[in-house]
Amino acid sequence: MNDDDTREKRDPSVISRRDLLRTAGAASAAALVPHSVAAAVPAETIEPGAAASTGPSIGTAPAPTGPLMNLTARETEILSAMVDRLIPSDELGPGAIEAGALRFIDRALSEAESDSAGAYRSGLAALDRYSRYSRGAAFVELSATDQDSVLIDLQTGAATGANVGFVGSSGSFFNMVKSHTWQGTFGDPHYGGNVDFIGWDLIDYPGVRLQVSEEDQRQLEADELTPVRRSAYDYATFRAGR
Amino acid sequence: MKASVSRSARLLRQASLPRGACTALLVSAATATTLSAQTPTSFIVESPTMQTGVLMPRDYSPDGRNVSPPLTWRGLPEGTRQIAVLCQDHGAGRPPPWVHWIIYNIPGNAAGLPEGVPFEASEPMPDEIAGATQGNNGWGLPMYRGPAPPGTSLHHYHFAVFALDAELDLPPGLTRDELLEAIEGHVIGLGSMVPLYRRQPADSGPFPFLIPEDFDERR
Repeated sequence: MNDDDTREKRDPSVISRRDLLRTAGAASAAALVPHSVAAAVPAETIEPGAAASTGPSIGTAPAPTGPLMNLTARETEILSAMVDRLIPSDELGPGAIEAGALRFIDRALSEAESDSAGAYRSGLAALDRYSRYSRGAAFVELSATDQDSVLIDLQTGAATGANVGFVGSSGSFFNMVKSHTWQGTFGDPHYGGNVDFIGWDLIDYPGVRLQVSEEDQRQLEADELTPVRRSAYDYATFRAGR
Repeated sequence: MKASVSRSARLLRQASLPRGACTALLVSAATATTLSAQTPTSFIVESPTMQTGVLMPRDYSPDGRNVSPPLTWRGLPEGTRQIAVLCQDHGAGRPPPWVHWIIYNIPGNAAGLPEGVPFEASEPMPDEIAGATQGNNGWGLPMYRGPAPPGTSLHHYHFAVFALDAELDLPPGLTRDELLEAIEGHVIGLGSMVPLYRRQPADSGPFPFLIPEDFDERR
């Protein structure tokens, strides 16, 4: 039995957390698109050389490699395991790790999210202490199910009462990492995440469009529309605004 | 109503429970008996690892693995077609109770619930409770999440087991109110167990398994 068989036989009333994420992620990605995309812009503003929807584009850097800048090796390991469980790679496609969310977060910690560096440091240490205390092993050593269970305890605030060093509620730390993971997976690739448009493919996001014709609309509703896979900053309109 | 409360009180005295547990049980037993036109029969609910009036093992809380506890029941009324289980804390929630677990559509011939029911809806239920479905707890999650009472307070966790006279085929994700409404008129039996829990933070001493004799006086 292959994965497709399994999926078709699944009770349609059973919605996995991943399915929920797909729905929520679509809304999230839409919200991350620059506001002015909604406005109709003449088609001529598209860069002449940037017509291909799948080729490399100026706003999409190749996935960076090498050590991270702001997190220690130990912190990287723990955060990587957490991000991997938030949007796992599964039969629906690659997940947050493949989309580069980890590197997105690391980079953000020395840029837009530099205020959060301390929260990451203390939160990741507390997560690992909580895991050892309650489940008897380091977070990265737990099974996927136990990792999920630990993360749900963070999310509900239950890990706070274990006195393992969460500053404020464990739910605040969970929500912060979840937000950044979503940004790094579903945001515009210009910001260093969503490598190869993995996040947009995952939620079938139609892509950044300067205009939508009646035919586009018809195709969208018929689920036949070819998605546009370009960063918003490949359009002169948005580069000009920066 | 009065009759059913005093009947429950008599049952509780026979079981010689600690006073705190009696209070919690009485409140919810009284609530539950209003669900059915006929007075439900009482039956026995037990667990290989928990006891009424005694601290439950930390594995059923976020101080441990936070898996659902095993339950067994016997003496279900004749004609039981389905079973529903609710775990709630009458000392928490605004308004109380705070719901920790809701599971229903349990086959009427099931002898109990195994430990560690899956918390992902996509994972299949164990064979002996095939078809069982979980409702949304106080956190809005369709799964068991164990006791996490604030600070060092001691709370009562009321496991209520409802014997139903029909196979209701209820949808997943029901809240407590929705479940109680859905089973109204179908409850022919009721069983309860009220274990306790108190957090044991990582920086505290050895885990106190038994509560002291003078617990009620010191509270």
